[in-house]
Amino acid sequence: MNYLLHLLIYLDVYIIVALSLNMIVGYSGLLTLAHAGYFAVGSYTYALVSLTLGWGFLPALGLGIGVAALLSLALSLPSWRFGGDFFVMISLAVQVLLYSLFYNWSSPGVEPGTWSNLTNGPYGLAGIPKPAISTIKFDSIGNMAVLATVLASGCALLSWLLLNSPWGRLLKAIRDDELAARGLGKEVRLAKVQVFAIACGMVAVGGAIYASYVTYIDPSTASLDESILMLSFVLVGGVGNFRGPIIGALVLLAIPEALRFVEISSTAAAHIRLLAYGLLLVSLMHIRPQGIAGEYRVE
Amino acid sequence: MQILANGIISGFTIALLAVAFSVVFLPTRIFHIALGGIYAAVPYAAWACLQGGLTWYAAVPAAILVAVLLSLATEYLNHAPLERKGASSGAHLIASLGLYIMIVQVIALIWGSQTKVLRIGLDQVFTFEDVIITRAQGIAAAVSVGTLVLFYVWLRFSNLGLQFRALADNPKELALRGYNIRRLRLLAFGVSGLLAAIGALVVAYDVGFDPYGGLIALLLAVVAVIIGGRQSFLGPVLGGLLLGVVRSEVVWFLSARWQEAVTFLLLALFLFVRPYGLVGRKVRLEAEV
Repeated sequence: MNYLLHLLIYLDVYIIVALSLNMIVGYSGLLTLAHAGYFAVGSYTYALVSLTLGWGFLPALGLGIGVAALLSLALSLPSWRFGGDFFVMISLAVQVLLYSLFYNWSSPGVEPGTWSNLTNGPYGLAGIPKPAISTIKFDSIGNMAVLATVLASGCALLSWLLLNSPWGRLLKAIRDDELAARGLGKEVRLAKVQVFAIACGMVAVGGAIYASYVTYIDPSTASLDESILMLSFVLVGGVGNFRGPIIGALVLLAIPEALRFVEISSTAAAHIRLLAYGLLLVSLMHIRPQGIAGEYRVE
Repeated sequence: MQILANGIISGFTIALLAVAFSVVFLPTRIFHIALGGIYAAVPYAAWACLQGGLTWYAAVPAAILVAVLLSLATEYLNHAPLERKGASSGAHLIASLGLYIMIVQVIALIWGSQTKVLRIGLDQVFTFEDVIITRAQGIAAAVSVGTLVLFYVWLRFSNLGLQFRALADNPKELALRGYNIRRLRLLAFGVSGLLAAIGALVVAYDVGFDPYGGLIALLLAVVAVIIGGRQSFLGPVLGGLLLGVVRSEVVWFLSARWQEAVTFLLLALFLFVRPYGLVGRKVRLEAEV
């Protein structure tokens, strides 16, 4: 039972990541490699304010969303001018900068969480408190699963409402023909700032759930490999509609679990899992470029 | 002086990979990420040959051959079929990323994730005035410069080089004039694999190698291509040299930990101020690749 709950929590986190990435990849048509960076912004903000300032879960979560949304300007402002491969390079630059910030903002011998040793560098932050809202403590795995599911459903509902609103159709219009959308008098630049702020804020929620569940966080959460993994499972599931990213999250969860039944060592299993992703990506581009259940083909 | 010399030598190795990348990128507009996987695979092939009892003279050509064949395979099995289907550049990029992941994971499955070295023990050192250069660095510089010079001579003076430049300039026009585009594209991927293999071997001989180093090396090369200018084959070399010098100055003035951050800040700066690179011509953004 605990194992299933553990899987449920991970699925919730993956669904939040996939839905938020879908807004950028599927509805704005821009490939971003910085998503793990924003995930880690949510994790670190939550961890730091709850560890050092003793904030409760909701205000810490809110701050994490705010910080990630603010930092999303680093992606949305360049997206005014760049698209395609160039935007991929810009997002890569943002990813590397965020990672080196988490990795390097430390000095030895100083208490973690102070101004000169904010992230504790490669050692990471340990002992992150379990979430608590007023008097309810989410310290058991069952409670935690309920909280994660509620938050993931909230994100899913928000994403559903937003993407089926006129604003969602505006995003699709910009994706398909930006000049035409501008010609019709739409605020293209504002919409891009909004979609990046919402998507990065949403992935920060996933980061906060992850940090509070695992109670430990280190810079590898923000690494480029994580960003590539996030992008690849969303592309495998498909983007541009609501069910594609969710199927992608399920596939991400299913592959390692299926590998459990095969008699191989855990290190080999990790490699085989990634190998399966690579193979899926290549073969999907040949057979079904829009992903398993997606609608939009990446330009 | 010492820092400048180190920077220039590492700049030449970056430039080699940058040229390898743009050899594919200019004619085909394919963002060849799988080249990072090939770059990582070459030292392993050489290492396996050496372990198998072969001499250096056999192991190095064998490793280079592996790289060329891998690179040809990515075109023949992946990009050419995608191109025939009229796939978008995003699909090429994603498929290439998938290939990169596959190559790296296969390497890690077979040989493990630890860092390996191609040579054992301390290296011989040469001193010129106040500059100290190790033998591995000397080899890296000499081989890189030699390869680049040979490549430019081939590109400038041979008939095939002329066709190749025409392919980079306007593939459709060249096809209309009756040249076999598919064969020229295969040639592009082969040359790219060859250049990347040489770059990978000299770097691996100097500092060792692991399965995951390919991507960051390739990204550095792409940064060099962008800041140097994408329109020509000369831009990447200038970009690589600039990047190598800047990176070694960063090690001296800040710390090695900030190398990547400064590199990508430089990239962002260039994209905003001079998106056409050092030697590129200014064109409309819509017309850019």
